[in-house]
Amino acid sequence: MTEQATTLDVPLVELVDRLLNRGVVLTGEVTISVAGVDLIYLGLSVVLSGVDTIRRHGADV
Amino acid sequence: MTLLLRAIVAAEDAGVAADLGLRSVSGTRTAALAAAWDAGRAAGEAELLDHHRVVQAVFERVPCLPARFGSVFADEEALHARLALREADLAAQLIRLGHRCELAITCAWREPDVLARATSVPTPSGRAYLERGLTQMRGERARERRAEAIVARLLSELAIEPDSIRHRICPRPAVAVSMSALVRRDEIDGLRSRLERLGAQLGDVTTVMQGPWAPYTFAVSE
Repeated sequence: MTEQATTLDVPLVELVDRLLNRGVVLTGEVTISVAGVDLIYLGLSVVLSGVDTIRRHGADV
Repeated sequence: MTLLLRAIVAAEDAGVAADLGLRSVSGTRTAALAAAWDAGRAAGEAELLDHHRVVQAVFERVPCLPARFGSVFADEEALHARLALREADLAAQLIRLGHRCELAITCAWREPDVLARATSVPTPSGRAYLERGLTQMRGERARERRAEAIVARLLSELAIEPDSIRHRICPRPAVAVSMSALVRRDEIDGLRSRLERLGAQLGDVTTVMQGPWAPYTFAVSE
């Protein structure tokens, strides 16, 4: 089954991974950290762990 | 005022996001779009997703390079100095990437990794512990081999230039393949159709496509 993401209401670990680890970096600046990153990853991994959950969120991810 | 970098755009597009509350710091060929940021402010999930929302809004209007979340500059002068150092490279990236978008393709295992979860359960003996470890290792290797096979199918079916694909296998227990594809907008529908056909043939994973996003994965950092 393939689900097409249509909105940004439900965060997913794949998106968080890109926001935190990829994209242009201009070095020399202060880098702020995100509180509770591990919890975010853990919570979103759970989202990705179940087919039913993916199906449920597929329409509004 | 400290500034949080959101995206890089062409210099002529510097004013494109004024209504989003973004300030622009222009160089000769590119401009940095940034938001005011309280230096003492903590960031959490909401700020992270807000960054994506703002970047997407810019990306929907003009070609842009998304910034990795968390880059804060003391003031516009500091941001301008950093922009100047990278301007040639950023302008080249903008030409190469700015008109294309990123699709995220995730293949999640349908069955949870039972063996990995069993690690916390005590074993009756040292031998049993070692045997369980060996079984887990073999299970992980088997999943990695299966994930590599799925990647091969994806690459074959999606027919995208190798330079426009990045992927990882088994990045997390629930995920077999995490892939990023750099595509033109007019290629999305065709790619989605091919992915749906392939997803229907893959019985052990659920395939999810997200996007189009700004090209986070393909924007090269220093």
